[in-house]
Amino acid sequence: MQEERLDLLNLREFDEEAYKKESEELLEMRMLTAETATFARTEGGFLSLKVGDKEYKRVRVYLTFPLTNPEEYISIREATEKAKEIGMVESLSVLPANQQEMLREQIRLRYFMPEIRKVMELKEEYGYAYWYVETTYGVCRFTTHMSNDAVVTLGESRLLVTDIDGNRYEIPDFYALTVQERKRLDLFL
Amino acid sequence: MKLLFTLTGEQLEALSLEPGEKLCYCVPVDLAYELKEGADLTRQPARDVAERYGKDSFLIVTSKRLMTLEGKRVISNTDLSGCEKIRCERQVGCGIVTVTDLEQNESCVARVSMRQIVRTSYAVRGASAIVKSIKATGGPENAEQITSLEYETYCEKCGRALPGTSKCPYCEGKMDVFRKFMNLCGGFTGRLLLISTLMLVTAAMSMLSPLIQRNFIDNALADGTGTWVDYALFVGLTFAILIGTIAIEVWKNLACVRLGSELSMSLRSRLYQKIQMLSLSFINKRKPGELMNRISRDTNQIRDFFQDVFGSMFSVLLTMVASLIVMLAISVKMTLLSLVFVAVVFVLMKIFRHRIHVIFSRQWFKSDELSNSIQDIISGMRIVKTFGTEERESARFSRKSMEFAEISSKNETFWAVFFPILTFLMGGGTYIAVLLGGQDVLQGRMTLGELVQFMAYSGYLFGPLDWMTHMPRAVMQMVTSLNRIYDVLDEEPRIKDTKDSREIQIKGAFRFEEVYFGYNTYEPVLENISFDVKPGEMIGFVGASGTGKSTMINLIMRLYDPDQGRITVDGVDLRDVKIECLHSQLGVVLQETFLFSGSILDNICFAKPDATLAEVIQAAKAANAHDFICKTPNGYNTRVGEHGYTLSGGERQRIAIARAILNNPRVLILDEATSALDTESEFLIQQALDRLIQGRTTFAIAHRLSTLRGADRLVVINEHGIAEMGSHDELLKKKGIYYGLVTAQLKMAEGRPEAEDAGEGAAAEAAGA
Ligand SMILES: Nc1ncnc2c1ncn2[C@@H]1O[C@H](COP(=O)(O)OP(=O)(O)O)[C@@H](O)[C@H]1O
Ligand SMILES: [Mg+2]
Repeated sequence: MQEERLDLLNLREFDEEAYKKESEELLEMRMLTAETATFARTEGGFLSLKVGDKEYKRVRVYLTFPLTNPEEYISIREATEKAKEIGMVESLSVLPANQQEMLREQIRLRYFMPEIRKVMELKEEYGYAYWYVETTYGVCRFTTHMSNDAVVTLGESRLLVTDIDGNRYEIPDFYALTVQERKRLDLFL
Repeated sequence: MKLLFTLTGEQLEALSLEPGEKLCYCVPVDLAYELKEGADLTRQPARDVAERYGKDSFLIVTSKRLMTLEGKRVISNTDLSGCEKIRCERQVGCGIVTVTDLEQNESCVARVSMRQIVRTSYAVRGASAIVKSIKATGGPENAEQITSLEYETYCEKCGRALPGTSKCPYCEGKMDVFRKFMNLCGGFTGRLLLISTLMLVTAAMSMLSPLIQRNFIDNALADGTGTWVDYALFVGLTFAILIGTIAIEVWKNLACVRLGSELSMSLRSRLYQKIQMLSLSFINKRKPGELMNRISRDTNQIRDFFQDVFGSMFSVLLTMVASLIVMLAISVKMTLLSLVFVAVVFVLMKIFRHRIHVIFSRQWFKSDELSNSIQDIISGMRIVKTFGTEERESARFSRKSMEFAEISSKNETFWAVFFPILTFLMGGGTYIAVLLGGQDVLQGRMTLGELVQFMAYSGYLFGPLDWMTHMPRAVMQMVTSLNRIYDVLDEEPRIKDTKDSREIQIKGAFRFEEVYFGYNTYEPVLENISFDVKPGEMIGFVGASGTGKSTMINLIMRLYDPDQGRITVDGVDLRDVKIECLHSQLGVVLQETFLFSGSILDNICFAKPDATLAEVIQAAKAANAHDFICKTPNGYNTRVGEHGYTLSGGERQRIAIARAILNNPRVLILDEATSALDTESEFLIQQALDRLIQGRTTFAIAHRLSTLRGADRLVVINEHGIAEMGSHDELLKKKGIYYGLVTAQLKMAEGRPEAEDAGEGAAAEAAGA
């Protein structure tokens, strides 16, 4: 046991640096800019990234404020299980236009939250609400539980609807709906 | 869950299957994902997210290829023999299917919403099994056929949401509901017969009394020929019927109440027993509290049905039909007129019922919200106080209660207006009858008695209308609850003894053979785990939190079965060992220690009820628990658990350790067994544990790596698999993950000189200097 400890001790000297570095990396705000990072599309429909001399075959694009600031502080992560952060893009606008578009494509791929444009029908039957709506993705029928977390309000007039499978739908402005549609939603508000 | 959807002939043709190529899985893909052929990547992606729902799109796995099909167009076509990996990655609100080719290039081939993600991940698992088989044997023949036991969320036939049941309560055969209902009532047949008889009697009696009235009026009153005898007879008869009806009603209601409570009680205990038998994976699939609901709310629903609806259902229907017949016999014209009224009132009630339901569910939501926020505030009291935000929270709460009060008052107003209107309308029916019938009587076309009888019967027709609008809902609710209950009762425990299960005397050799496991279908936790454990060996599981160490132990304890591969003990598949036999030979100390309601003594003796008091004390001493137990007011008889004496996490853990020590198990499982202990106790217990570990196969997880120093081998788990395995020294030499963890802990310890680890570190340092 004693021997083992000695062994460890010797090793530690040199490892400390690595640890300090990792913990600092965790704290550091590494910002990716047009100068430091270059994104490119891949054949497979993903995004590759070159930062300095490092190349990533595929990176993931995570929004840090998906509901409030979808184009700011975008976290770029490795496509591994750990999804280690490579850096952040402070705002999409710091990137060249074509790369902005690439990131938006990836965001569209990762985040699925159709906007509800029209509520054609909303009926309640034995503990479930059946919706028939027109969304940005086309017309759609879905079902929510009749509980108050099925429809939550974000801010003044924005609503987020979650169906029984966990799909989320957004109603960007409740007051932009017609009186009739609003009446249908009465059930939840 | 269905994994092989049928394609149209044209679609099948589009796939152009080769001879011998078999369709294995075919699942719908509900989000469009477009292929842009010949795209210039600097301007446009080769594959793009189309913001529309997929139309007629499927993900198809054949014995050779993975394809996506939209309509009749093949969007992507991948040869399985050129695949390294196929995965279903969960995104936010959706999922994507990615294929990694042999050069490690990843591509996205399909995108699905949460509605299809579970199904898709099963299909992807099927495709991966084929890939694996092709890699191993060159052909798809040995691939494991993936099936899914999960329930659908929507009914295939009617499109309604399934309330957590395997069958749709609307579409499933009436016979099946009937079978469940009969099964439910079995054993209560006598009581049911009694209730039915009583129902018939009440119906008959209520039909009788207007008849007597009519006779009396026509024969005694109208023409003035009645005598005192007639009068007395009438009063006596009416009174007798009244008393009789009340008595029978009370009897019937009592019988219903008793039947209802006994039924729900028996259901509750059957459910409770069944849930205990079912494996954790069944319980896990359900939302927290859902099973609780099934035990409490659904059984209450059944009780309410028997008490409120069942008892009057048949007698009311019977009375209504009989009344209608008699009314028709008296006057067809008047009957038809009242029927129009009945229809109007019925429709009105139905509409208003909906409205009432809406406003009341709103009130109900609000009250729910209110109680939730009370709970929030109370459970977060410490935080609220420490941040000094009491006022803000109070204001928030006041606002919520104001909203609630507003809605309640609105609802009450509605009631207050609506109810009299309804009563008026129902009275209206009688009013019309009197108007028309009165003329007939005056003109001698009808006797006065008949008019009175008619009015009484029309009352029978109007009276239960409100109840009738409510009845379908009540029946449906009962059927749903019945289904939800029987879903649990009919569920075969996934983990159970079969006729081949046997009892074995465990020596302690374990073997993992290519084990795969995940709690959710689309999120694997462990993949391809293979290793051997010799009897008596101590294995330490190491890894960052959330990597699946406890999951390994759950598999060893057989709380879950692996999705693929197998675990053997002494060469016998765990699935072939009698569960009780396995558990009785395991000694388990877990991260969260659960104590049963009962005394400390009961808790320590849990696995060995016949232990002597001396043995118990011995075990408690070994677990360093004796001292604190002595200090509690009632010593070993102190009640713990719910409503009992509150023990700290460390104290609970020590009781669990004593329990394991007393049981003298063949295999010891320690999952962060000493994590809640202070360093001094840990040190003391560690010695007891070291002694306990001698000669037993031990699986240990510890946060403080020093706790694992006695381990023969350490298994480092990382990214779903075994990253490193070997003794402490071997792993240090390797300078891999384990090495990193050890140095990190030593480093931490340095900054905390009062901790025990630090003591060790410091000692080492001193030795090194
Ligand atoms: N009952 C469960 N249901 C779903 N997921 C679970 C469950 N228990 C654990 N997990 C997930 O499995 C992973 C491994 O957990 P666990 O084995 O408890 O990790 P640890 O290594 O910290 O003991 C985690 O990502 C966790 O979120
Ligand atoms: Mg754990």
